[in-house]
Amino acid sequence: MTTIHDEIDNWLAADLHGELSENERSVLHTHLVDCATCRKTHQETKTMNKILEETLAQEKPDLRFEHRMLSRFRSRIPQRSGLVKSLVDVMRLRAVQITAVAAILLALIQVGRMITGERANMLRGREGYANEELFRQQRSQVASGVGRAGGLDKSDELAAGRSKDLAIKAPPPSLPASRPDFHENAKTPSTTVAQGKVAQPEVTEMPGVFAAPENFARAEAAEQKPAETPAPALANRKLIRNATVQLEILSFDDALQKITAFANEQHGYVATTDSQKQSNGKLRGEVVVKILPENLDPFLQKLRGLGELKNQTLGTEDVTKAYFDTDARLKNAHVMEQRLIDMLKMKTGKVSDLLQVEKELGRVREDIEKMKGDLKYWDSQVQFATVTVSLAEKDMEEPAAFLLKERAQLSLYAPDVEKIYNDIKALASPKVQITNAQLNRDYSGRVSATMSMLIAPEESDAVIGRVKGFGRVENFQMQTQRIAQGGSGISENAKTKRDKVELNISVSREEQEQALQQTSLRIRTSSVDEKAKELRALAEKQGGRVRNSTFNRDPDGRELANVWLRVPMKNYFSLMQSLNSLGKVENASVQRQDRTDAQIDEASAPADVSIQVYSQGNIISHETGLLATLRRTLAQSAGAIMWSLRMIGVAIAFLAPWAIALIALIWITRHIIRTNR
Amino acid sequence: MDASEREQYRAAIQGDREAFEMIIRTHSRTLFAIAYSILQSREEAEDVVQDSLVKAWKTRWRVRDPEKFPAWLCMIARHRAHDVFRKRRTVSRFDEAIEATDPESPDTTALDQHLHAALADLPELHRAALTLRYFEEMDYHTIENTLGMTNGALRGILGRALASLRKQLRPALASLD
Repeated sequence: MTTIHDEIDNWLAADLHGELSENERSVLHTHLVDCATCRKTHQETKTMNKILEETLAQEKPDLRFEHRMLSRFRSRIPQRSGLVKSLVDVMRLRAVQITAVAAILLALIQVGRMITGERANMLRGREGYANEELFRQQRSQVASGVGRAGGLDKSDELAAGRSKDLAIKAPPPSLPASRPDFHENAKTPSTTVAQGKVAQPEVTEMPGVFAAPENFARAEAAEQKPAETPAPALANRKLIRNATVQLEILSFDDALQKITAFANEQHGYVATTDSQKQSNGKLRGEVVVKILPENLDPFLQKLRGLGELKNQTLGTEDVTKAYFDTDARLKNAHVMEQRLIDMLKMKTGKVSDLLQVEKELGRVREDIEKMKGDLKYWDSQVQFATVTVSLAEKDMEEPAAFLLKERAQLSLYAPDVEKIYNDIKALASPKVQITNAQLNRDYSGRVSATMSMLIAPEESDAVIGRVKGFGRVENFQMQTQRIAQGGSGISENAKTKRDKVELNISVSREEQEQALQQTSLRIRTSSVDEKAKELRALAEKQGGRVRNSTFNRDPDGRELANVWLRVPMKNYFSLMQSLNSLGKVENASVQRQDRTDAQIDEASAPADVSIQVYSQGNIISHETGLLATLRRTLAQSAGAIMWSLRMIGVAIAFLAPWAIALIALIWITRHIIRTNR
Repeated sequence: MDASEREQYRAAIQGDREAFEMIIRTHSRTLFAIAYSILQSREEAEDVVQDSLVKAWKTRWRVRDPEKFPAWLCMIARHRAHDVFRKRRTVSRFDEAIEATDPESPDTTALDQHLHAALADLPELHRAALTLRYFEEMDYHTIENTLGMTNGALRGILGRALASLRKQLRPALASLD
């Protein structure tokens, strides 16, 4: 323990610096009163303290020290300008920092979007997007309405213009008036009427179309108008209109009746009908209806009501130009014909010339006929619009029937393969057809058979059952496949038919079967041969079979018999128990192979047991007792002594030459020393 | 350390100049004492304090914990003072010859010289404790905190420092008497 005296320096310093507690100070002062040395030290320390205070006071920084530091600091690190400072101050706020980070993130996202080319409106809500989409659709529809209406108007205008042209050129000076109907159409008043009629819808439509997208319905209504109106206006135009409609209907006959009724209503007729019955009983067909062009649209509207509209096309072929061209050529041909006839009538010139004229006349007439035919055809086509209605009953693809295909795979083990092969072959009958039968015997004498047969469905279960009974089933697999016929998918009404069952059988000898369980054990007994015989008898009793057995005796009198048995699993445990009666069972090890994939009959599955029956031989006597033990001990110790003697001899043989040499060396040295003395 | 102090240090670290200037006002004398204890020269110590402050301002972001700011300041000052001290020793070899011929300043008494010599012989930690005590009249606890000592260690250091000075100056004191 340290005393004040030992630490007087520390105490004195602390006292001078006013760091002693009241208690400590009194203790110190008491000591100073007692101790003269410490008193002296106290005096010196006090002086020292004073000197230090005085000296270091001079070195103390003056009063303006801080001010100097500050001003020099300011001059070395200039204050930022007001803007920068306020900016920095603002940046110091946590909220501003977070905002800045968010802004930078957003900017990065935007840049990324610009780079990847993603569009900004992806961020908008789905609803907004949908609305916009709707609006756009409306607009495009309106636009197409305008386009369509406009298109029609334009073509009408064109037609009007053309008919005007025609009207101007109407009376071609070269042509004599031979077709009054054409002249009637081409008359100026009629064209003006047409023009007026065409122009009218255009004027009335315009506000309807451009008013607003909301007036969509009106625009559509307006769109339909020109389709109906042009009929009279286009009287002098040759337009072939045809439409194809694909409908899915419930009943073909009903639909056909209705179509006929509609056609009659609209002053048309059913031109052809054609229907095919599918294998699943559904009807599919085509009806061609001829109808007046002006009634085409209402007729199509009605058709839609028949069933589900799959497809509709409406086409208009303008044959005006071809028609009038042909018409003009026809007139020319008539003039030509007339001239040729005149030439013939005059009967001047050579016969060959006349013949030439005759030939030419024939050609011209042929042309005339052809052209007339064309014109007639066009007339007929123009007169009636052709509507081709394709009808298909609902669930066209429904399968007509299902075929149930069964395929079975059977593996058998049997003691006599050939017998079973013949047995199976004997099953053949009209309902059981053997398609393939093969009996194989390989070089090692192993026999196996493979067979395939087709069995009528009603017989299949019975036949398979019988085949299974022929041997031990190792594996049986049944595969059923349902095949739809005449369609795909499911059907409520389709019938299911069972096809012939295909059965593939493979038969192999029992020996080849791998045992489910393999056991090996040893039995120690004194009479090996006898026990081995007993063992065989035991195995026979348990329904087992000896697969192999060996017996050998070595010169020491040890006997060893190996017996390999195969028993059905159900008898395995009773066999194992009966083995105990034969002798001491040792080293029993069991190995079991569970085949999880195959559905095997475990009770009759084979179990292999390999048994080693052995005796210990006669070399070591079976004598027991004190004397015998004593004798054995003596004999063994005598042997041990003999052995150690031998070892000693060996050691001497190793060491002796060295020892002799060493002794000789010592002796010679001594001798020399002695003679020297 | 109270909350307002800590807040001040935190603001200074984040670049608040006013807070930093306040720290200059309150801490520069401590820094001076530390620098003086190493250099024993007022001019050099002042320069060291100045440099340390500028360096501290420039590298203030290195301090993670506001509580450690004063200790960090002291460390900068100490390192800087050591740098200056090393430089001075290499330079002084050339200057020694010149200084030796200079006549002693008349106002430096013999005792002062003895004292300075004795101080120079003390370990640096002892000198630092002495300067902090005699310049700033700091109490023991504050000095311990500033120099990073354990509680109660200072009493021994100051005791030994004073005793050592006393023994060295005894002849001078005797002659003075």
